[in-house]
Amino acid sequence: MTEVPKIVYDRLRAARPEGALPDRSMPGRSMPGQSISGQTTPPPPHPDAELLTAFAEQALSATERAGVLEHLALCGDCREVVALALPTDLLAIPTAANAETEASAIPAKSRWSWLSSAHFAWPGLRWAALAAGVAVAAVVLLLHPGKLNQATLPSANQRVAPAADPRIASSPVESSPVASSPVASSPVQQLTTLAKADETRVKPELQMSKKFKAGQAASPLPAQSGMLLAGNKTGSAQADKPSAVPFGGPPAFEPGESAPRTVTESVQVAAAAEAVSVEPSSEDTLLARNPAPAIEKAKPALSEPEVIGQQNNQAAYGAAPAGLQSRNVMSAAKQSPSSNQTLARQRAVNQTLANETLANNVTWTIKTGILQRSLDSGQSWQNALHADRPLLCYAGRGLDIWTGGQAGTLFHSSDNGLTWVRVQPSVKTYGLTSDVTRIDIHDNLRDPVEIVVFTSNHEIWSSADGGRTWNKK
Amino acid sequence: MPKLAQSGQEADAAALYSRSGAAAYGVSAEQFAAILDEILRKYLPHNPPHASAPVSPDYSTEKKNGFCAALRLEELALARACAAGNERAWQDFIGRYRQKLHSMALHITRDAAHAAELADSLFADLYGVNARNGVRSSKLVSYTGRGSLEGWLRTVMAQEFINRYRKQKRTVSLEEQTDEGVQFAAAIPEPACTSDPRLEAATDEALAELSSEDRFTLVSYYLDGRTLAEIAQTLGLHESSVSRRLDRLSTGLRKRILAGLRMQGMSHAQAAEALETDVRDIQLNLRSRLMQDSGTKTFPGNKVPAQDAGDGSTD
Repeated sequence: MTEVPKIVYDRLRAARPEGALPDRSMPGRSMPGQSISGQTTPPPPHPDAELLTAFAEQALSATERAGVLEHLALCGDCREVVALALPTDLLAIPTAANAETEASAIPAKSRWSWLSSAHFAWPGLRWAALAAGVAVAAVVLLLHPGKLNQATLPSANQRVAPAADPRIASSPVESSPVASSPVASSPVQQLTTLAKADETRVKPELQMSKKFKAGQAASPLPAQSGMLLAGNKTGSAQADKPSAVPFGGPPAFEPGESAPRTVTESVQVAAAAEAVSVEPSSEDTLLARNPAPAIEKAKPALSEPEVIGQQNNQAAYGAAPAGLQSRNVMSAAKQSPSSNQTLARQRAVNQTLANETLANNVTWTIKTGILQRSLDSGQSWQNALHADRPLLCYAGRGLDIWTGGQAGTLFHSSDNGLTWVRVQPSVKTYGLTSDVTRIDIHDNLRDPVEIVVFTSNHEIWSSADGGRTWNKK
Repeated sequence: MPKLAQSGQEADAAALYSRSGAAAYGVSAEQFAAILDEILRKYLPHNPPHASAPVSPDYSTEKKNGFCAALRLEELALARACAAGNERAWQDFIGRYRQKLHSMALHITRDAAHAAELADSLFADLYGVNARNGVRSSKLVSYTGRGSLEGWLRTVMAQEFINRYRKQKRTVSLEEQTDEGVQFAAAIPEPACTSDPRLEAATDEALAELSSEDRFTLVSYYLDGRTLAEIAQTLGLHESSVSRRLDRLSTGLRKRILAGLRMQGMSHAQAAEALETDVRDIQLNLRSRLMQDSGTKTFPGNKVPAQDAGDGSTD
């Protein structure tokens, strides 16, 4: 609506008192027999209720109507009476219910401002509702590709989680943050660049998946997709090993197992974000973009029922904005030793393609110097390696198992413990002869991984090529 | 000839009487005819004072018949029967309008307590509690059937509300004036006085050219802050018509004021500037005026304001 010049307001306002001011109490307004022949006297009397009603109901003759209009144009009081007396049902003004809540609105102005706001509030609400609907639809559309992605590859997470397990499972108890930092450094860089690119898209999805998780209403599909991505990376990291084959195999997961399911849930937040932010069609970009999340998602796979809560927290922490994921990688690396410590006896590792049913349930322990393996979650044990000297520690990553014992005993199996090879580290003429107390497998995304062996006399041996050559510190 | 007209009028009166259903409320045909006659004399000034008097123009008879036929006879009969104290009429009236009156009052006052008060006082007026000279005078006597009885009740209630509100407002504003000085009441009209007299004259001229309906529309929208829907309903138009009219009015007014200013010797640029800079002038004037007021108040105000503040807080 175009505005009128300010002076028009002033002159209109100045003209008003002429009709209304003489007596504001409106004498004889309700008295019968008042004539509206307003032309007769200079200050015309107010039209009576009869005429005002008939005016509002369009029941006056043309001359009468002109007379009333002439008065109304100047008399604010009568205009207000007419406006107040408008039938409520036609103006769609809520009467009883809303009036109860609108208490003490005595000034007429505030009442009318309320009325006008009520009048325009509904279109506003309608637009707000429409905007909300569009937003919801957009979110659904963004989430949808992730769901499609999982639907085609349902069982990925079940194999991926154990696959990542032995690597960290083998890390000794006192694994320091320092040791874990090289692991995290390279993914952090990649992740931050990715995070910058995808931050705007990832953020809302993270929030969404957070909510879903909190409400326990989330479908596992996003998590599966995310785990698939993780698994792809893990598989590629072990590409030179024949034991990497099981990743392509059919699902080998016991439905009664509760831990992996919880793992899936704990990973879900980060996984959902990844699944959404990545183009579902291009496998190459998937692999290229997800090396860092592969680590992160593999970590929760460690968690057994006792530490599920802890790991869940960690995963939820990882659901913070993408830029924080690098920090999460660090924390995950730090946390892995503690989970090793408490759950060293219950490790889930893959075995072989031929032995699919066992692949996820192989757990390791050392009893009286003998490395033992359980295929049924620890209910029964069988000797896996009985060396000539008592074994003291072990570590695993994927199908790679390392175990060490007294007097420099060190064995390596790359097929989940079926066959063992004695490894004798030596630098020049100096060989490893002291007791091996701890073995770390450092996953810095290189293949093969770095093996670090700690001894009782504080020697540290490391091999970056799978045990062929060694360095001693 | 007059005889024929007389008989024709009687026939019409009988038809109106039967249509009104006044007989059910104990209103005789003669009484009803007298009521109609009174209404006719009120609204049709050219009508001869008595129907039996010589009728000069025939058209007045037609006009009268048309006028009477357009009345809401049934509601008129009900109202007048109530005013006369007919029991059955009161029962009908209460049955039809009691609930509506309360919701109307709630709509007008937007406050349950005030609504009850307003509705009760109106009921008292309608029933005629205030006896004058021993005769109960009901407000329903003033209903003439030109509009609907419900609309009339609403209007009467609105008038009553405005009257009360005016009383309250007047006392409040007086107190505010003593408390705060005259800024509140005086600030608004004053700038108009200080603005360019040529601009005022041109504006007044332009406004005077408007029809009363245009002026009503303008005032209702810009001064009273009514919505388009309200204005449209009052005038019996569509909202879009009101909107178009307002657009036309505002642009036309601007043009006419500019033309008036040029007529008084201003150039186009000067006139446009006078029209546009007016708002800023007003603000400047207001500010300087307020500063002056506060400046003059600070000196005697050292003693007075404490008392004033106490008065203000009690309200």
